[in-house]
Amino acid sequence: MSREKLEKLGVKLPLFPTTSVGSFPKPDYLVKARSEFSKGKIPETNLHDLERRATAFWIEQQEKLGLDVLVDGEMYRGDMVAYFAERLPGFATSGLVRSYGNRYYHKPVITGEVAWSGPVTVDWWKYAQGLTKKPVKGMLTGAYTIMDWSFNEFYPDRRAAALALAKVVRQEVEALIAAGCKIIQIDEPALSVRPEELSIAIEAMEFTTKGLEAYFITHACYGEFEHIYPGMLDLAVDNFDLEMSNSDLDLLELFRRHPFTKDISFGVVDVHSHTKDSASAVRERVEQALTILPKERVWVDPDCGLKTRTVEEAVEKLRSCVTAAKSFRNA
Amino acid sequence: MSAAPGLYLSSTGSYPRIGDSPGLQILRRTIAGLDRGDRSTADLLDIQNDVTRYVIAEQVKAGLDVVTDGLIRWYDPISHLAGKLDNVQIKGLVRFFDTNTYFRQPVFTGTPLKRGHLAAGDYSFARNALGHLPTPSGKAGKLSIKPVLTGPYTLAKFSLGEQTGNGSSGQFAALEERAQAYSEILASEIETLAQLGAELIQVDEPAAIKYPNDWLIFEAALAPIIKARDNFTKSGRKLELALYVYFHDCAPFYEKLVALPVDIVGLDFTYYPKLVDMIVAKGSPKTLGLGLVDGRNTRLEDPAHVARQIERILPKIKGERAFLGTSSGLEYLPRDRAFAKLELLSKVRDALNGGRP
Repeated sequence: MSREKLEKLGVKLPLFPTTSVGSFPKPDYLVKARSEFSKGKIPETNLHDLERRATAFWIEQQEKLGLDVLVDGEMYRGDMVAYFAERLPGFATSGLVRSYGNRYYHKPVITGEVAWSGPVTVDWWKYAQGLTKKPVKGMLTGAYTIMDWSFNEFYPDRRAAALALAKVVRQEVEALIAAGCKIIQIDEPALSVRPEELSIAIEAMEFTTKGLEAYFITHACYGEFEHIYPGMLDLAVDNFDLEMSNSDLDLLELFRRHPFTKDISFGVVDVHSHTKDSASAVRERVEQALTILPKERVWVDPDCGLKTRTVEEAVEKLRSCVTAAKSFRNA
Repeated sequence: MSAAPGLYLSSTGSYPRIGDSPGLQILRRTIAGLDRGDRSTADLLDIQNDVTRYVIAEQVKAGLDVVTDGLIRWYDPISHLAGKLDNVQIKGLVRFFDTNTYFRQPVFTGTPLKRGHLAAGDYSFARNALGHLPTPSGKAGKLSIKPVLTGPYTLAKFSLGEQTGNGSSGQFAALEERAQAYSEILASEIETLAQLGAELIQVDEPAAIKYPNDWLIFEAALAPIIKARDNFTKSGRKLELALYVYFHDCAPFYEKLVALPVDIVGLDFTYYPKLVDMIVAKGSPKTLGLGLVDGRNTRLEDPAHVARQIERILPKIKGERAFLGTSSGLEYLPRDRAFAKLELLSKVRDALNGGRP
């Protein structure tokens, strides 16, 4: 049981632990500073100070709200793949590529052997953990998603690239564990985009986490999970953090047909909506989860990262999660 | 004399809308200005026209025979066409295959109605733009522009039926109904495009090979547009329909694809390394679009290697006629690399000609 694993790691959590998926909205002062930094108008130290201030703000908010497992909010990141690629040997940056609409970004390019030249996230984790007694998750992007969201000019095929990246991500995991991190989330939002490559994602995650002493979560969202379930349960993690609300809990039907065998961080609020999810709607989602899943396995969180919401909206959505979880604990 | 006279170099559809230099980002700035309210829709149209001319010129400069308008005006392959219809609302973002890009999802609110052209205006503009370019040496009478449409099945698969809000099924809840509705509309557009002079129209159906359980629905949805082509060509006029599939392994469906009543089948070779061997073994009863150059990765292929693949495939294709292109549209690449991929197509042809351009 994964709950036993947590206890062995010295992490005691209540029933229906509450957490969040990773990103929070950046306060206005930080958005402005990032823009000024990109234009060379302020030095990196100024930006870094504001990133620390914003991280402290979000740790305080999460504590006030009563969340159980905290995140640093990713105040220092833009894109979840580019952030790592920019800090790993073997990557270059491409010209602008369209994301959607009028949004463009510099997509990473694998141009050589990828390598780990030192911790990427550990200092941020240490800083965030130093602000609270509650556990803070280490937050990484998985090897399969980094591969899928990068151009590959070096490795002969996608599997080779993913496995090379798994070695790199594993070293970052080891560094987080050495720093004291007990719960590590390895995001794989690309998990379902090529069902025929699920075995590659599983192989890469196995290589990333095998034999390491931590509780592992992976986050995936907005995919066609019907094509990879139940095979995805072979991913070497303890907990799947899944977007459930936006897809009207469709995954529960899959779980009825084939039991869900891991812990689940159950997305109970839609992060794409500006409006607050009603307390009754959030409760109803948890109740639906409990028709299939044992309560000991259910964590409660939003569908996805909250960085596209305003600070106020994000706080309200987190509050909805905490309120729902507490009501079930006390029932 | 070319070593492969039946081989044409062709665009597969989209092209990057912007580049990295400030001058190449004018479309992005104009759209941002429109969102802020300090540019008008007329400003946007002007810039879209300028960028379209530029993109067509780049394709010609790279040596292509069949070019497109680069789909510069498209928001995405689904909402661009569906959003022009009455009784279809455009809603939230949904992930588009494995591209890490998104499309805006159409939702039917009633029977979709075509109130104007979907692609005909863009085609006329692009044809005119191509006509105003200086003709490269040896290309007189050999350049053509190809309109692109997303096919009825793919449009329907990524649309939703009417939402009643009370849990009951509204109109067009069934995929077949949506696919047929789209197909009737596209058939009418194809007729218009043909009347305007289009002799080759590309119909993209990437979803057809991703969701094989819907094959009969996909096939049935092709019928109205095939009928539109047949009605047009029975008087002796020329019109070819090219069905393009990509973003998934097409090998399991190869024989069914080349048996469809279309004139050309365009294939993505990036998902199955042995597709060349398979086609060499099985042959093709019709003209193929050969997506041998990866349209989604920046790595540049070796032209000699691609040329050797063509030397093996071409004799196995009926009439030894094929369109060499990228595996998909090029909007997923940075602008400079997209142009390099087009230049690579010309280098492949040079390699086939023993190094002669």
